[in-house]
Amino acid sequence: MRGLQVSLNQTQKIRLQRALQQLESLSSKVNVNASVTVADTIPVNFEDNILKGHGTVERDGELVATLCGVVERVNKLVYVRPLRSRYKPEIGDIIVGRVVEIVPKRWKLEINFSQDAVLMLSSMNLADGIQRRRTAVDELNMRSFFEENDVVCAEVRNFQHDGSLQLQARSQKYGKLEKGQLLTIPPYLVKRRKQHFHHMEQYGVDLVLGCNGFIWIGEHVEVRDTMSGDQVSNTEQQNTKSSTSTNYMDLEEQEQGYTPLETRQNICRIANSVRVLSSLGFNITVEVIMETVDLSGTMNLEVHEMLGSEFYVLVAEKEAERRCSSGKKKG
Amino acid sequence: MEFVNPEGLRLDGRRAMEMRQLRAQIGAVSKADGSAVFEMGNTKVIAAVYGPREVQNRSQQMSDQALVRCEYSMANFSTGDRMRKPKGDRRSTELSLVIRQTMEACILTHLMPHSQIDIFVQVLQADGGTRSACINAATLALADAGIPMRDLVTSCSAGYLNNTSLLDLNYVEDSAGGPDVTVGILPTLDKVTLLQMDAKLPMDIFENVMQLAIEGCKAVANYIREVLQENTKQLEVRRGV
Amino acid sequence: MLQSKVFSKRTRGGKVQKTVREVYLRDDLPCGAPFCKVCDTSKARLSPSASSPILIVDTNVVLSQIDLLENPAMDNVVVLSVVRDEVKNRNIAVFKRIETLCYNSTRNFFVFYNTLHKDTFVHDVSGESPNDRNDRAIRVATQWYQNHLGGQTRVLLITNDRENKRKATEEGISAETIESYVKSLGQPNLLDLLVKPVSEDVEMEDADALRPSKRKVLYAEHKPMSEITSGLRCKIYHQGKLRVNRYNPFEAYVGSESIGDEIIIYGRTNMNRAFDGDVVAVELLPQDQWREEKFLSIADEGEEEEEEDVHLAPNSADDALRNTNPPNSADDKNSVPCRPAGCVIGIIKRNWHSYSGSLEPLPMPAASGSIAHALFVPKDRKISKIRIQTRQLENLLDQIIVVAVDSWDRQSRYPSGHYVRKIGEIGDRNVENQAVLMENDICDEPFSRQILNCLPPLPWSVSAEDLANPIRMDLRHLLVFSVDPPGCKDIDDALHCTTLPNGNFEVGVHIADVTNFVHPGTPLDDEASQRGTSVYLVERRIDMLPKPLTEDICSLRADVERLAFSVIWEMTPQAEIISTRYTKSIIKSCAALSYVEAQARMDDSRLVDPLTTDLRDMNTLAKIMRQRRIERGALTLASAEVKFQIDTETHDPLDIGMYQIREANQMVEEFMLAANVSVAEKILKHFPLCSLLRRHPTPTKEMLEPLLRTAAAIGLNLDVTSSKALADSLDRAVGDDPYFNKLIRILATRCMTQAVYFCSGDLSPPEFHHYGLASPLYTHFTSPIRRYADVIVHRLLAASLEINKLPQIFQDRTQLTSIAENLNYRHRNAQMASRASVELHTLIYFRKRPTDEEARIVKIRSNGFIVFVPKYGIEGPVYLTPRGEKGDGEWFVDEQQQQVKKMDGSVSYSVLQSVKIHMEVVEPQPNRPKLELSLI
Repeated sequence: MRGLQVSLNQTQKIRLQRALQQLESLSSKVNVNASVTVADTIPVNFEDNILKGHGTVERDGELVATLCGVVERVNKLVYVRPLRSRYKPEIGDIIVGRVVEIVPKRWKLEINFSQDAVLMLSSMNLADGIQRRRTAVDELNMRSFFEENDVVCAEVRNFQHDGSLQLQARSQKYGKLEKGQLLTIPPYLVKRRKQHFHHMEQYGVDLVLGCNGFIWIGEHVEVRDTMSGDQVSNTEQQNTKSSTSTNYMDLEEQEQGYTPLETRQNICRIANSVRVLSSLGFNITVEVIMETVDLSGTMNLEVHEMLGSEFYVLVAEKEAERRCSSGKKKG
Repeated sequence: MEFVNPEGLRLDGRRAMEMRQLRAQIGAVSKADGSAVFEMGNTKVIAAVYGPREVQNRSQQMSDQALVRCEYSMANFSTGDRMRKPKGDRRSTELSLVIRQTMEACILTHLMPHSQIDIFVQVLQADGGTRSACINAATLALADAGIPMRDLVTSCSAGYLNNTSLLDLNYVEDSAGGPDVTVGILPTLDKVTLLQMDAKLPMDIFENVMQLAIEGCKAVANYIREVLQENTKQLEVRRGV
Repeated sequence: MLQSKVFSKRTRGGKVQKTVREVYLRDDLPCGAPFCKVCDTSKARLSPSASSPILIVDTNVVLSQIDLLENPAMDNVVVLSVVRDEVKNRNIAVFKRIETLCYNSTRNFFVFYNTLHKDTFVHDVSGESPNDRNDRAIRVATQWYQNHLGGQTRVLLITNDRENKRKATEEGISAETIESYVKSLGQPNLLDLLVKPVSEDVEMEDADALRPSKRKVLYAEHKPMSEITSGLRCKIYHQGKLRVNRYNPFEAYVGSESIGDEIIIYGRTNMNRAFDGDVVAVELLPQDQWREEKFLSIADEGEEEEEEDVHLAPNSADDALRNTNPPNSADDKNSVPCRPAGCVIGIIKRNWHSYSGSLEPLPMPAASGSIAHALFVPKDRKISKIRIQTRQLENLLDQIIVVAVDSWDRQSRYPSGHYVRKIGEIGDRNVENQAVLMENDICDEPFSRQILNCLPPLPWSVSAEDLANPIRMDLRHLLVFSVDPPGCKDIDDALHCTTLPNGNFEVGVHIADVTNFVHPGTPLDDEASQRGTSVYLVERRIDMLPKPLTEDICSLRADVERLAFSVIWEMTPQAEIISTRYTKSIIKSCAALSYVEAQARMDDSRLVDPLTTDLRDMNTLAKIMRQRRIERGALTLASAEVKFQIDTETHDPLDIGMYQIREANQMVEEFMLAANVSVAEKILKHFPLCSLLRRHPTPTKEMLEPLLRTAAAIGLNLDVTSSKALADSLDRAVGDDPYFNKLIRILATRCMTQAVYFCSGDLSPPEFHHYGLASPLYTHFTSPIRRYADVIVHRLLAASLEINKLPQIFQDRTQLTSIAENLNYRHRNAQMASRASVELHTLIYFRKRPTDEEARIVKIRSNGFIVFVPKYGIEGPVYLTPRGEKGDGEWFVDEQQQQVKKMDGSVSYSVLQSVKIHMEVVEPQPNRPKLELSLI
């Protein structure tokens, strides 16, 4: 079994074990028996005209798993949902990626998929916000948008016929992410939700939970249009606003270039929470992260102490408690 | 040299058809997509799998299947005397190839076109049967990385010394110079994917030895299956709903 | 199944290396007691009655008291695996003996694997020596036995280690020394078997103190092992196996690889307590102490009463006296250094085992019953006399007994040993024979039931299946016959010869198909492989295979159908081989001729029956083949083989004479050689790495030295540059008397080593050469009934014809090599035994018949010469000066002329000269008869 890579003392070990056992007992009623390993037969009734999904293969009239994971049945579809694996994109997923290469008319982004994702220049809003054909000048200026190693937030647009993935970033909320940390966690820990952008007001921090397991924690940026899709008028407004402000905002901008210590500490605190949760293998949601951050606050822990073994145990216990109570509520 | 004493016990106290203790741990390399440490007695091997990911060398990209690469190496400290050249010798090249071919045969590469899968195997401690241990570790790491496979591949060796077929030779037995048969099988498909022997054996004895090795592979498969099952269960449980 | 790990450090090649080994400790190992309620008793071997105590023996007990343990009085013994391993490392011979004891179903010996049992495994404790740890392991195991059997029986630890015993007693284990245990058994005879422990040396020396002369240190101390290894590394010392001169126990040779030459060791002091066969470390003496060329007198170091005996003339350099004299290249005698001489400074590995012989008669018999010291004289002259203690001296005086060596300390002239068992009375032929067999490691036990079960049921005849077998050719229509010595019952070869329509001849050699009955891996095969060869003594034969096979089923007797393995050639009348076929066959011999009969038929011109014609054809072919072989350079060597006529009633020899060789012998020999060569070619082609071949190494210049010197003395010039040259010059060496040529050939034969079996994978093709036969390849195929090598070759040939699969041992080259070595060893031993048997019978023959006979001088000594008696094939010393006297100055040796001359020049004896001698058996001491030669 996957081991935790922190050293625990004897009592901590026992406590962790107890917490994990509790988790196990809680979920034992749920579809634990549905977990399969490679080459296990999945019991199905072929008369139901089932559809074979991902991670299955038919062999000698039996459905056999090709992955380790959990068998899911949706109507007639039977598939194996793998746990640890690379990101399996779906259209509309919000992802965070890192630019690895700039080629004519497109950026290539590493997003933990089996290939690099493609962000076309044409799938970007131009700086002036005008809808027009991209000119050669625009192509030459691609680096003014994103350079190599920039962290970018985008949305899965579609798959090409050759299996490569196209992204789009036609929204103000997408684009380059700055002044923060990028964390990579196994994608199965991030659940698809309505909301992947979170503004944690009390910390002044933005949190982007990319569906691909890339998590961005950065200083809050105000200029974000919450509306999806952009309107010319809106941009124009902003443009005029920004153009008027540039003259007297020079100083302020300089000041903004520097993130206050407190914010930076908060970023780290949240990042460490995510680290602890992910290495414990717990689901990552904004609520859990907040709880964990709060927990560290109430324990008066320094940021670095959050990665100590004690905090792992505490988080595990807390999680057990939480699930226990939520389970009871349901029950 | 007496490798099997009259009581039927080997030098390390095992009987002829007994394996060494198996141990496995999944997730030893946190950076990798999948990883495992596999131990057969004192032989300890670590495997890490990266991918499927973008092909590094474009010219090797294949539009219908994934590229599988494998690198085998022995840690400098893996044997009693420190090795000078841990990589690039003929034995390593040969082993890399063997492991790559064996694993490629079971990965459903056509599901991941335009991508590459890297398997890194390193022997941390060598005590005979490294070949088998490497394959078993690689299987675990691939399964951990969530790479679709036809079946698990498991491997085990068997030899023939003192007129006895011996399962899972350790270093002392291996270096006796007798025949050493390494077998890799797909346990549920009941197919042999790897069969190596660099000595001569009469057919009937060879069959006997190979059968023993296959039994060993099956035992390894059961163990690996258990480990994976437990791992999946734990991951699912921890994740919660 | 429990598991734990052991960490041990081991040094190899000077480096310290850490090795980690796993140990899987078990809980399923039985204790071996049949009455145990816990363990699996199916393999229990200990005595079923709980009344006799279970003995757990310590390593030192096994190592030193193995003779005692072999005595049935010692029983119910547990051998712990820690003891077993230690014994194996320390002394492989003892290990083999204890192993046979442990698997002897009549003895209650049980091996308990304490090192792998979870309750008796001991961990290393830091600061504890391996020895202490093993002792502790033994105690832990004993304790375990005590608790395990819980008072059902007594468990006794037998140890001679004082410290171990003390600790055991402290831990509540009952422990005893072997002495006290044996005493408690109340069988005084057992005490003789007891080896005196080193700790008791003190008492013995006290006894010796009465004779102060004996107390002085006689030998230099052996250097410690560490010093020896470092000395070997920096080439100060040289390592090698010590071989004592068979004819002079005070001279030994150490073949050293580091020098590339043999180092001579003169005298007891330099030999420094080393035994024949010991691996020793030698330091070279300063060059001025290397003895200059000099003829050693026959008896050396006057104070010892050692002398040369009359013995059978040796047949090859292996059993002859080594070339003791340095190269004598006449002109530059001074510049050529003589052979390096050295002294033994340490013994790396002892080759002690047990020896047969008799006690030296004592001037005054000791009081009966009390402990007496006696000197034991081994039969093997290479071995020093051995001091033993016995309580039954008067019983042993006239007996041939077996004695084992225990130790040899610096103060005593002779090693001390202990009595093992007695063989029988001196002079009794059976007893003497028994001693001969024992001395040569020949097993003459009857075949066990297990082995006899492998035989086909009697009466045996060729079955319909054999006839129907497609691989077996039906050759019953051919006129096959055999030619053998008279009275031969194990006929393993037969011949046929037919004229083909084209004028060519078809010649077939048919060999008994032994492998049809002896299958690999059966007990029968294992036994045959161990025995290696049949042994022919004067009055009996010790078979390699059981009698039904040897004399009936396999023997190609006349007028019965037999299975054979045939080599069939088509030959031109000029005896050129056109084609060769190999096949399994069925034959029916029409006549089993003796050499005399065959010769008579050929010579009798009146006979024209088909058989005789075939014989004559074959003889013609054989003569051509022989001629061609000789032209190729084959040596016609000669040996002084003798033949006895034995009284059928008393088995005493009636007559003795040289073995006469007829044309018929040579004819059969020629075809056998041809068959062997053909088979050798065939098997080597198919199995280049695992064929069993026979080679005869080319003799080196030094080996031929004595021959050349002798020849030079009589003015004969021998060319030894090649076998062909030697053969030619031997042919030319025709003296004035008819026996001269044969004598030269005998001397030449003596200079050569024997041919040996080897595995073709071990050597390169040029080394396969057979010098004596001048054949690039040779093997043994034609006598599978009496030689195991032929059985192996039969299997190889069958496999090359794809009749059978190649048995497994051929896969394993080391195993094949060890088989070849065993065959060489057995072969040599068989020859030695035959010679010893002939010597014995010669003695019996002359006991009643003092004879005068003509003899030839073969070697010159300062106080006499050594003569060879052609008629009886014996060799022995003739003294010119009376024994005991040095005869200073009366005689001197002329090296150039190889002569011994009287000072005044009146009389001289030169080598090869014919002399008249008188032979008579004398008994200088009661029951010690020997043959004495004296000049008339």
